[in-house]
Amino acid sequence: MIKVQNLRKEFALNRQQRKELNTHDSASVAVDGVSFECRPGRVFSMLGPNGAGKTTTLRMLSTIFKPTEGSIEIAGINAVEEPQKARRKMGFLTGSTGLYARLTPNELIQYFADLYSIPKETTIERRNKLYDLLDMHDFQGKRIGKLSTGMKQKVSICRTMIHDPEVVIFDEPTSGLDVITAENIIQLIRDCKNQGKTVIFSSHIMSEVDLLCDDMAIIHKGKILFNGSMDYFRSSMQEKSLTGEFIRIVNESKTVEA
Amino acid sequence: MIFTLFKKELKDTLRDRRTLIMMLVIPVLIFPIILNVFVGVSESFNEKAAKKIVQIGFVGPADSYLTEKWDTLPAKLGTKEINKYGDSISMIEDLRKDSLQIGIVIEDNFDALLTEHKPASVKVYYNGTDFGMVNRAEAYLEAIEEIAKQERYIEMELNQEELTPLDVSYNNVASDKEMIGKLAGGILPYIFIAFGFLGCMYPAIDLFTGEKERGTLETLLTTPVARWQILFGKMGVVVLSGLLASSFALLGLFLSIEVLDLVKDKELLAVSHSILSPKFVLMLYGLLFPLTVFFAGVMIPVAVYAKSFKEAQSIITPLNIVMVLPAMIGFFPGIELNEITAAIPVVNIVLATKELIAETLDVGLLLLSFGVMVTLAVGAVFISYKRFDKETNVIL
Repeated sequence: MIKVQNLRKEFALNRQQRKELNTHDSASVAVDGVSFECRPGRVFSMLGPNGAGKTTTLRMLSTIFKPTEGSIEIAGINAVEEPQKARRKMGFLTGSTGLYARLTPNELIQYFADLYSIPKETTIERRNKLYDLLDMHDFQGKRIGKLSTGMKQKVSICRTMIHDPEVVIFDEPTSGLDVITAENIIQLIRDCKNQGKTVIFSSHIMSEVDLLCDDMAIIHKGKILFNGSMDYFRSSMQEKSLTGEFIRIVNESKTVEA
Repeated sequence: MIFTLFKKELKDTLRDRRTLIMMLVIPVLIFPIILNVFVGVSESFNEKAAKKIVQIGFVGPADSYLTEKWDTLPAKLGTKEINKYGDSISMIEDLRKDSLQIGIVIEDNFDALLTEHKPASVKVYYNGTDFGMVNRAEAYLEAIEEIAKQERYIEMELNQEELTPLDVSYNNVASDKEMIGKLAGGILPYIFIAFGFLGCMYPAIDLFTGEKERGTLETLLTTPVARWQILFGKMGVVVLSGLLASSFALLGLFLSIEVLDLVKDKELLAVSHSILSPKFVLMLYGLLFPLTVFFAGVMIPVAVYAKSFKEAQSIITPLNIVMVLPAMIGFFPGIELNEITAAIPVVNIVLATKELIAETLDVGLLLLSFGVMVTLAVGAVFISYKRFDKETNVIL
């Protein structure tokens, strides 16, 4: 379960940044009063154009960033006050995730298992299961730098799931991947849902959202424009296509602002 | 948890070819190469100098006292050949062209003045860029003057002892160790410091900026490990790399002396043996450790701040000059470790190492130097912590 209330994130601006943004404000607001809830066994999608505040929100959820205001609860833990405890419960995967090229998949998985203090036997058991599932046995001892993008993505998935997290956060996980490689991620999200995990993922691709999610929030300029179930979104659509409706909502907010 | 991070970072670092070259290969080879080149060059220079026939231009009467005595000079003063010239202008021209090394001009009345027991003038011409030739001329003329003096004592029936009021003897009380320590001891800490810095440089950039650039840091920050633990795990590897680079330089020195037999000078060899004692090595590491932590603490905030490997490198490389340049102070023989120099970072380590080699180290000053470096290292680590804790610095 993820509960987010009145989340706000400000970034202090230095003189050069103020000049570039043509503003006198001492800070820029990336996320402004965001609230939502993601339930176990459901996939929650955060949809928004580039620069909408999706990544900042997910970075706050994953405790990389500390919110300026608001509260975050991850699997019953106050993530703002007890970030380390909350991190034990979550897995985090982004499309831009890099891997240690000089390590092998085995070494990398063991390293992350150690960071999560997972007992050796449990690590081996989970690792073998994931290797079977992702068909990773053949390249487990090769240096990651020598693997293909698809193989690397499988290693990333294995790394994200090795501690069997209750909550999984995906930040644009398929960005830059070909269809075949992206399919691994889509399958992972489905598996997580079936296992009763809480899944949140961000995307700017409507078709991906339509394919996977149960609940959705549309975010633009740091503010939530829509928050509800996918079924409700479909039933209240004013445009013919999902993408069209998404564009209409974003454009409407621009008109309101103007 | 810090150890888990440290172990992984060390494995990762040791698999990086660039770091290995900077940390292992170059430091091990530097002393053998320098000493080999130095020994080779100086041997060939000496050999060449010994074999070289010094061409001397001479302007003056053909059968003068000077030319007569010239032939009687001992062979140890070097082989020479006299070339007679009619005027000094063409002789100077040849000196400039390097076909002559020394030019000597005496007046026509040279012998007459000697007979009259008056000083006879000798003009020596030399090319300043031809090193050692003026010394060679001095040696020849001093030898001839000595012969002339002895002849004059006999002619004038003088007792040489009566004309020597002072019998001065100069006795050096400094041991060979002190001499070498104070005069040349600065080179050793300079090389250690330079390699300590270079050894820290690549791992610092790779483990902080590199990880940020490759997108692995973000993942690491979502694990249940505190940021200070991540920092300390990584910093441990940076410090170890710096110390290893210095150690491999020491290993290179050891190999040059003990295995490759590159040091021929007996006194220098004896001093070198005593330098490589366990006590010296232990004390050296005591000084190098806080210095390396300080280097790491200075580099890490830069590496954390930089957005790319290139940016980090472009900031840290000039920093190298700022940090390592003070180490050159050790090359100047006059500067010693005192209350002021002991408070100057880097300089204090160089001077303390020099004193350590010379075995003249004052414990109070050693502790002051160590204290200054530890304080600075702690300060640098604190700045690194603050930088690493700043969220906008760790994410691109």
